[in-house]
Amino acid sequence: MTAWGRFISENRGPLLVTPALAVLVLMNIFPLLWSFGLSFFKYRANRLQEPEFIWFKNYFKVLTDDRVWNRFQTTAMVVSIDVLLQLIVGFLLALMFEKQFPGRRVLLMLVLTPMMLSFVAVGAFFRYYYEPTFGLLSQAIKSITGEPFILLASPAGAIAGIIFADVWMWSPFVMLLVLAGLVSVPKHLYEAAEIDRTSWWRRFWTITFPYIRGLLLLAILFRTIEAFKLFDIVFLITEGGPGTSTETIAVYVYRVAFQYFKTSQSAALGYILLFVVIVLTNLYLYFVRRRAEEN
Amino acid sequence: MADIELRNLTKLFGKLAAVDDIDLDVEAGEVMCLLGPSGCGKTTTLRLIGGLEQETAGDIFIAGKRVNKLRASQRDIAMVFQFYALYPSLTVAENLAFPLHAEKLSKAEIAQRVAHIADVLELSHALNRVPGRLAEGEKQRVAVGRAIIRDPQCFLFDEPLSRLDVALRQEMRGQIKQLLGDLHKATVIVTHDQIEALTIGDRIAVMRDGVIEQVASPHNIFAQPANVFVAGFIGTPQMNLLPARGIAADGARLRTRLLDQEVTLPIEHRGADLPRADATMTVGIRPRGFNLATEAGPDTLAGTVDLVEPMGAETLMHLRVGEADVRVVTGYRKAIAVGRHLRVRPRAGQVHIFDDTGQRVEP
Amino acid sequence: MARRRREIGKAGWGRTAMSAVISFIYFFPVLWIILTAFKTHTDALAIPPKFLFTPTLENFANVFSRAYQRGGEEIDTHFDLFFFNSIFIAGTSVLLALAVGTLAAYAFSRFPLRGNDTYMFIVLTTRMLPPIIVIIPIFLMFRVTGMSGTYAGIILLYAAFNLPFTIWMMKSFFDEIPPEVEDAARMDGSSEFKVFFKICLPLVKAGLAATAVFGLILTWNEFLFALLLTGMQTRTVPVAMAQTIGGDIGVRWGLLAAIETLFLIPVVLVTFLLQNQLLRGVTFGTIRR
Repeated sequence: MTAWGRFISENRGPLLVTPALAVLVLMNIFPLLWSFGLSFFKYRANRLQEPEFIWFKNYFKVLTDDRVWNRFQTTAMVVSIDVLLQLIVGFLLALMFEKQFPGRRVLLMLVLTPMMLSFVAVGAFFRYYYEPTFGLLSQAIKSITGEPFILLASPAGAIAGIIFADVWMWSPFVMLLVLAGLVSVPKHLYEAAEIDRTSWWRRFWTITFPYIRGLLLLAILFRTIEAFKLFDIVFLITEGGPGTSTETIAVYVYRVAFQYFKTSQSAALGYILLFVVIVLTNLYLYFVRRRAEEN
Repeated sequence: MADIELRNLTKLFGKLAAVDDIDLDVEAGEVMCLLGPSGCGKTTTLRLIGGLEQETAGDIFIAGKRVNKLRASQRDIAMVFQFYALYPSLTVAENLAFPLHAEKLSKAEIAQRVAHIADVLELSHALNRVPGRLAEGEKQRVAVGRAIIRDPQCFLFDEPLSRLDVALRQEMRGQIKQLLGDLHKATVIVTHDQIEALTIGDRIAVMRDGVIEQVASPHNIFAQPANVFVAGFIGTPQMNLLPARGIAADGARLRTRLLDQEVTLPIEHRGADLPRADATMTVGIRPRGFNLATEAGPDTLAGTVDLVEPMGAETLMHLRVGEADVRVVTGYRKAIAVGRHLRVRPRAGQVHIFDDTGQRVEP
Repeated sequence: MARRRREIGKAGWGRTAMSAVISFIYFFPVLWIILTAFKTHTDALAIPPKFLFTPTLENFANVFSRAYQRGGEEIDTHFDLFFFNSIFIAGTSVLLALAVGTLAAYAFSRFPLRGNDTYMFIVLTTRMLPPIIVIIPIFLMFRVTGMSGTYAGIILLYAAFNLPFTIWMMKSFFDEIPPEVEDAARMDGSSEFKVFFKICLPLVKAGLAATAVFGLILTWNEFLFALLLTGMQTRTVPVAMAQTIGGDIGVRWGLLAAIETLFLIPVVLVTFLLQNQLLRGVTFGTIRR
C-alpha cells in the first residue's frame, strides 16, 4: 500500500467529514465569528466610516435598552401562548388519530399539510382572511356582531392573529410526536388495564402518559426554539404592528440590522439570542439522548 | 355446572379460522391447559375468553352467565400476559395494587393485600422497584401476583413461563401448580410446552388448526392419545407412528404386516371392533415401549442401527427398518453400535392402534 | 344489530365521520385559497364570500404571462422566472448538500471520530441558530465578494443551510444498517470505496430520497435569506409573493392565490408520499419511531 493509500484509509473518517465541515465553516462558522468580532466594534454597513473598537459597549447598550427588553417580553409572551396552544391542539388531534379507522391516512394528510407549507404562504393566507373588509374572519364576525371587525388593528388582536396562524401551522408537528408516543405504547398494557378494570383517566396517566412524556418534551423544546425565531409570519401578517406590539425579537434584530443599519449592535443582539438558542438546543439533545437510552 | 363454557366458538381472521367451532368446559377449581404448536389458535381462544378479541360466532359463558357482549373489564377475570404487561412507570407495589383500584377498597386494605401477595410470591424485597429493574423471574411473579390479588371468577394465563430460562421455569412450574391448587378457581393456561401442560394441568386440551383434538387428563392424553396428531405431539422422543396392514386378530394378539415384516403385536383386546383384517392402519409405539430381543421371533421387528444419540441415563437409537426410521430408547448400557443388526419387541400395553383416518381404535 | 365491542386500538366509521369534519375544518384555510385561485378578482373580494362561483383559469394564465393589464398599466409578473429560480436554486443546493452531507453522515455513523458528539452538536446548532444572526455577516460578505444577487451565492448558502439537516437525517439512516453487512463485504475483499457505493448507498436509497425531498421543501419555503440575498434575476417565489402583498393598494388576491396554489402543489404531494418518514424528517432524524 502506498503511503498515500495508507493515509487515506487511516483517516477516512476525517476525510469524509472535511468537505461538509468546509462548507459549514465557510457559510456558518466564519460568518458567526465575523459577527462576534463585529459585535465589539462600532460599525454601520451603510456608512463608509471605519469600524471603531468599543469593547462591550454594544452589549451594554443592547442590554440596557428598554426596547430590547420590550421585544424580548413580546417574544416570550407570544412563544409561551403559542407553544401552549400548539400542545393542546396537537394533543387533541393526536387523540383523534390515535386509533385505526377507515380513511385515517387521507385525513391525517389533510391535517399534516399546514406544517409543510411556507411561512410566506401561510402569512399570505391569513392576511387574506384577516383583511378588514372582505376577509373571511372579518366578515364572519361582522355577520354576528354587526360591527366591522379589524383584527389586526389592536395589539391584542394582532398578537392573536399571529398566534392563531402559527398554532394552525405547527400543531400538526406536536400531533405527530404525540402520535408517535401513543403508538409506542405496547398494546398488551392496554389489554391488561382493560382486564384490571381501569378507568380512562387512570389508564391515561399510568400507561399512556409515561410513553409520550419524553416526546412531548421534545416537541415543546423544538417548538420553543423555532418560535424564538418567529420572523416570517410576523413580517407578513403584521410587519410588527400596530406600533411595535407584535415586533418579536427576530423582527427587531432584522430592523436594527437592515432598516436602521446599526450593524454591529444587531450582531451583539444576535449573539444574545444565539446564547438562548444554544441553551435550548443543548436541552433538546439532552432529552433526545435520554430517550435513546430509555429505549 | 362448568365455570367456563365455550359453545361452538369460532373466530375468523379474514378467511382464516383461528378458532374453528370449538366446545370446551372448564370446571370450578380445574386447571385447563391449552396445548398446541404455534398458530393452532390456543392464544386466540384465551383472548376470546378474556374479551380481548371479538368472537365471530358461538357463545362464551363464565359462571353460567353469557358474556359475549361484555367488555373484558366487565367479565371479572384476571389474566397473566405472555410479556407480563407490567406498567413500566409503576413500582411493584403499585403494579400489584393496580387491579384493586376498581374495587373501592380502603388504603389499609390494599396495603395489607399487597403485603400478603408479596409475601406469598417472595417479592417483599422488590416492592419499591420499577419493572425495568427486576429480574425476569421477579417480573413473572409480579404478573402472577397482579392476577391473583383480586378474587375473580377465573384466571387466564398466556404462556406464563415461556420467557424464563430452564431452571427458573422448573421452579416456577411447581410454584404455580401449588398456587393454583390453593386458589381453587377455573383456570385456563395456554402453553406450547408439553411438560408444563402435563405437570400443571388437571386436564389438557390439545389444539391444532383451530380445532381441539383431544381433552383429557395428563395421564390419559399420554396413555390414550385420541388420534395420530396427539400421539405424535405428546411425549419425547416422539412416538413411532408406523404404517401397517392387519392380517388377523385373535384375543390379545394382532398379526400385522408392519414395515414389510410380519409382526405379531400384543394388544389388550376388550372386545371392541378391531380393524378388519387387511385394513390399513397406523401402529403407534413409544420409543420407550420396546424391549431389545435376543433372538428372532414372530413378535419382533428387525432393523439396522443407523444413528445413536446418548441422552444421559438413556440412549436413543434410530433403527432403519426398510425405508422407515424407528426410534428406540434403552438404558445406556444396552446401547448397540451403529451398523449392527437389532431386533426389538413391542411391550404389552404399549401398542396404540389408529385406523386409516388417524383415529384411535380401542381394541 | 347489537352494538359490538370494539377491539383495543380500532375505531369505526363514527370516528371517521368526526375526524373528517375536524380535518376539513383544519384544512379549510388551504382549501379556500385553492378555491380563490379559481375566482375572478371581483369574486375573490366578494362580500359575503362566494362559495359557488364560475371557476376561471385566468389567474393561472396571468401567473405565467409575462404581462397583464391593470388600469391601462402593463405589469410584468415575472413569475415564470421566479418559479424557475425556486426550482433551480432548491434543486442544485439540495444536490450539493446531499453529496457532501452523505459522506459526512457516513463518517459520523461508521468511524467514531474523537469528539464526534461535539461535531454533531455544532452541526445541529448551526441549523437551530436564528438565521437572522448568520445573515448579517453573510450579507456583508456577499456584498464584499459580489456574490449578492448571484445564483452561486444563494445556492452555496442554501447548501450550507441544508447540510446540518442532511447530515443528521442521513446519519440516522446509516445507523440503521447493521455494520455486519459491510464487514461481510470487506471480508469478501471489497475496497472501502466499493463498500460505500455498492453496499451502503443502495441500502439508504429511501433515506436519500426522503432527505432530498425534505431539503427541497425547506429550501423551497425559505424566505429570509432569499429576501436579503437574491436580486431581481435570482428572486425566488416566496420573496416575490411577499412583495406582491407588500404593495399595499389593490393586492391581486386571485393572482396571489393562484401563485400560492402552484407553490403548494409539490409540498402537498410530498406530504402525502412521505407520510411515514414525516416524523423523522421534522425531528432531524432524532426520532425514528
